[in-house]
Amino acid sequence: MSPLHLLEIKNLTKHFGGLAAVDNISFQADEGEIIGIIGPNGAGKTTLFNLISGFLKPDSGTMKLRGENITGLEPHKIVNKGIARTFQVVRPFRHLPVIANVMVALRSPRGARKIEWLKTIERKAADLLEDVGLSEMMLEPAENMGHGTLKRLEMARALATEPDLLMLDEPFGGLNPLETDFLTKSLMRMHLDEPTRCILIVEHKLYALMKIVSRVVVLHQGEKIAEGTPEEIAQNDRVIEVYMGKGIQDA
Amino acid sequence: MVTTYIRRAYSSFVAHVFDIPARLLAFLLFLTLLFIPFAIQNTYYLRILILANVLAIFAVSWDFLVGRTGQISLGHAIFFGIGGYITALLSSSKFFGLPIFLTIPIAILAACIIALALGIPSLRVKGPYLALVTMSFPLILAALLKWYPLNHIFKGEFGIRGLPALVPRLDWMTIGQQRVGEYYVTLILLFAASVILYKIANSKIGLVFVSILDDELASKACGINVTKYKLMGFMISGLFGALAGCIQTHLLRFANPPMFALTLSFLPVIVTFLGGLGTIYGPIVGAYIYYILDSYVLRDWLPRFLKETVGVTLPPEFDFAKLLIFTLIVLILVIKLPRGIAKFTTDKLGDLEEARDLDERGPRIWKTYKKKEKTTSTGSEPTASS
Amino acid sequence: MIEEILVYGAISGGMYALLALGFTLIYGVSGVVNLAHGSFFMVGTYLFYVFGISGFFSLIPLTLLDPTWGPLAALILAIAFTGVISAALYRIIIHPVLGDEIGVMVVTVSLALIIQQLILMIFGPPNLRINPLVTGSKQIWGLGVTNMRLLAFGVSLILFIVLWIFTNKSKVGNAMRAVSQDREAAMLMGINTERLYMLTMALSAMLAAAAGVFITASITEYAAPWIWLHPLALSFSIVILGGLGSIKGSLLGGFIVGYAEQAVAIGVPEGGSIISIVPFTVMVIVLLLRPKGLFGKRIEMED
Repeated sequence: MSPLHLLEIKNLTKHFGGLAAVDNISFQADEGEIIGIIGPNGAGKTTLFNLISGFLKPDSGTMKLRGENITGLEPHKIVNKGIARTFQVVRPFRHLPVIANVMVALRSPRGARKIEWLKTIERKAADLLEDVGLSEMMLEPAENMGHGTLKRLEMARALATEPDLLMLDEPFGGLNPLETDFLTKSLMRMHLDEPTRCILIVEHKLYALMKIVSRVVVLHQGEKIAEGTPEEIAQNDRVIEVYMGKGIQDA
Repeated sequence: MVTTYIRRAYSSFVAHVFDIPARLLAFLLFLTLLFIPFAIQNTYYLRILILANVLAIFAVSWDFLVGRTGQISLGHAIFFGIGGYITALLSSSKFFGLPIFLTIPIAILAACIIALALGIPSLRVKGPYLALVTMSFPLILAALLKWYPLNHIFKGEFGIRGLPALVPRLDWMTIGQQRVGEYYVTLILLFAASVILYKIANSKIGLVFVSILDDELASKACGINVTKYKLMGFMISGLFGALAGCIQTHLLRFANPPMFALTLSFLPVIVTFLGGLGTIYGPIVGAYIYYILDSYVLRDWLPRFLKETVGVTLPPEFDFAKLLIFTLIVLILVIKLPRGIAKFTTDKLGDLEEARDLDERGPRIWKTYKKKEKTTSTGSEPTASS
Repeated sequence: MIEEILVYGAISGGMYALLALGFTLIYGVSGVVNLAHGSFFMVGTYLFYVFGISGFFSLIPLTLLDPTWGPLAALILAIAFTGVISAALYRIIIHPVLGDEIGVMVVTVSLALIIQQLILMIFGPPNLRINPLVTGSKQIWGLGVTNMRLLAFGVSLILFIVLWIFTNKSKVGNAMRAVSQDREAAMLMGINTERLYMLTMALSAMLAAAAGVFITASITEYAAPWIWLHPLALSFSIVILGGLGSIKGSLLGGFIVGYAEQAVAIGVPEGGSIISIVPFTVMVIVLLLRPKGLFGKRIEMED
């Protein structure tokens, strides 16, 4: 029997109306990988994320986490199996202070299990915020925070459950160069600290992404058109065509 | 030994209550409520305050559900009525004749289970759908209670009457003394209910409730079983709503279909908005304002005042104007002061508090965290060098 | 028995659909859950009473010429006044809290209570008799149906068709549909949403008033200060049944509830006294099967 992949997606399909947002996509993710999922707007990247994290139910296809079928599970169950995510448009709990945002995730079964014995939930939350560089503002209400801060907060919240698979939906979106740099560094550090954790990143900004990923999956109109190392992808004709086409439209 | 203990308790009390303006205000209010029966001998006035206590419990339970878990219910009367009817059936001498200290716990537990049973289907829907679905539950039950074939049990419109009193009147008691007893029983229950709900709302479970209110999807993404917590909120709220219903049933000594009326579902809503949504203490203030305004100022004081000073006797139609005036006040408040009276006051006090809060209470976590940081880093260095 | 259910059910169903249409229209366009919808039903009825039945128009020479003009003028005036009142109330009361779901419900509930108390103060608690606009009756499948009920049925169908055309063909109707589908996009396109909401509110209240006059004049034949409750309950259960914001849904829902009520009234022992729970029961059953109602918009995930 072949070794189990961390995440194995087979023939995943989702239609909206008559339109296929995700069309027959298959790929695997293994421990320790950082995988980038790229593609032009409307390529189905966010839909794919929503399918994996359980916010949408696929029309067909299967998803397996370490061989265990997780297709069609409720979102919270998927989180507790070890897949955490952030959102493209930040969704903080605006009425709660920053630290409490993280504490909510620590109240989930998996989050609570991951707190070391004799450690308070507050301390664990403060540690997580320290990791993303938010310890100065952890008592302030989340509604006063800027966009970049909230992105980091979401990351801390996702990390609270210590996921085996972390899914980041456009983590670089709306960040300034300084913040982009900080995020790149903290992702690389996280990769060193937790070498078994797999990170899945959906991104537009290819430049920031290509430096950190080990493998790239390219989507176009809901289909997977290419997969490989960043170097291979950069030379793939189909990808260049799709991206150049978009570039011409933009210009 | 005892004196040191008392002194320590006193100083911690001072530190916890007198130091924070909002808590001091709450403490003073509680003291006032505690000593009211000594100042007011009139049984009618006491009666008003007793009913205000009951409404306050009911409204606090609604506020917990809506203000803290974000589940909009416009049919809270269902818990009120169910609690009342179950304890009525169990304690009525025509049926089971059980003592009320048994029937009330049974009734609120039963209401809890019914809350679960109603919650499972209705929490499939959200927002306005949920509000309107919950609104229909008490109306369905009220109609069933009045249905002729069931009249031999529920006695239709007439209701179940002749129930045991909340505070039985012993031989030596005057009506006034019975009222004082009722007042203290309801006040203690109100105090207990609001403290319990406040504690739950501000606990770590309460955090999860607020997170669901803020963003349900994000809560799910945090691994929170949203349905479970919503049902929990529904049951806790239903429990205290039913408690209020039980108390009122034994105060008035009957249970009748108007306990399920739409106005009774709307009353906690209005009262809560008057005091401040999501505050837990706001509805208590709102309930008192409601009863004092409705039953004292407009029914008693104003007609008397106008008669004595201006010589005008109010026409009987004025009776209808009371609810009108009250609702108008609420309407203006909701539009002009959307956070409610109590919340407005504590916000003003909170401005004073906040500066020190950030200075002391909040950074306590921060300080201990820093301290630990230091000890771990200094502690690890020698081992690394050796 | 079947004939009774079919005929009477259709008549009340048509009126219920009209009533619910108003509720669904304002929700669909502005997102306001108007708990004072039943109150506009009642306001319409009382205005009709004032203008038509209490002898208001006998003072005006116009009606002396032809006695049938009186009720008709009263009907039109009642509906128009309700529209104006509702638009004003919308601007003063609902507009400041727009966007706050619970706030809107609280102010509209308060409004409903205020209107109830005002009517109690002006007209007192006793029932007022509302006479049918037309007299006489006809035989349909061996059942005696009053002309008034037939008229009510006809008017409800005509109004429904008119509204259908209005929302689908007219400029205002197009704006309404645009706003209900995507508020921000509609605002970017230059639609004055504030005015549109006010207009929709007036339209919705006028529908409620029309339903009020026809239901009270044809079926119940009295007006009382608490006749807002049942219409409110009816309209929200029909609307939820059909799907909030769906015109098709409220038409179908209205007829389902109309038929179901008649079926229970005739088929269940002492059914007349539990008729008021029929709409809720149907609604709860439908919601258990389809959480967004029959024609509700299905929102899967909004990002």
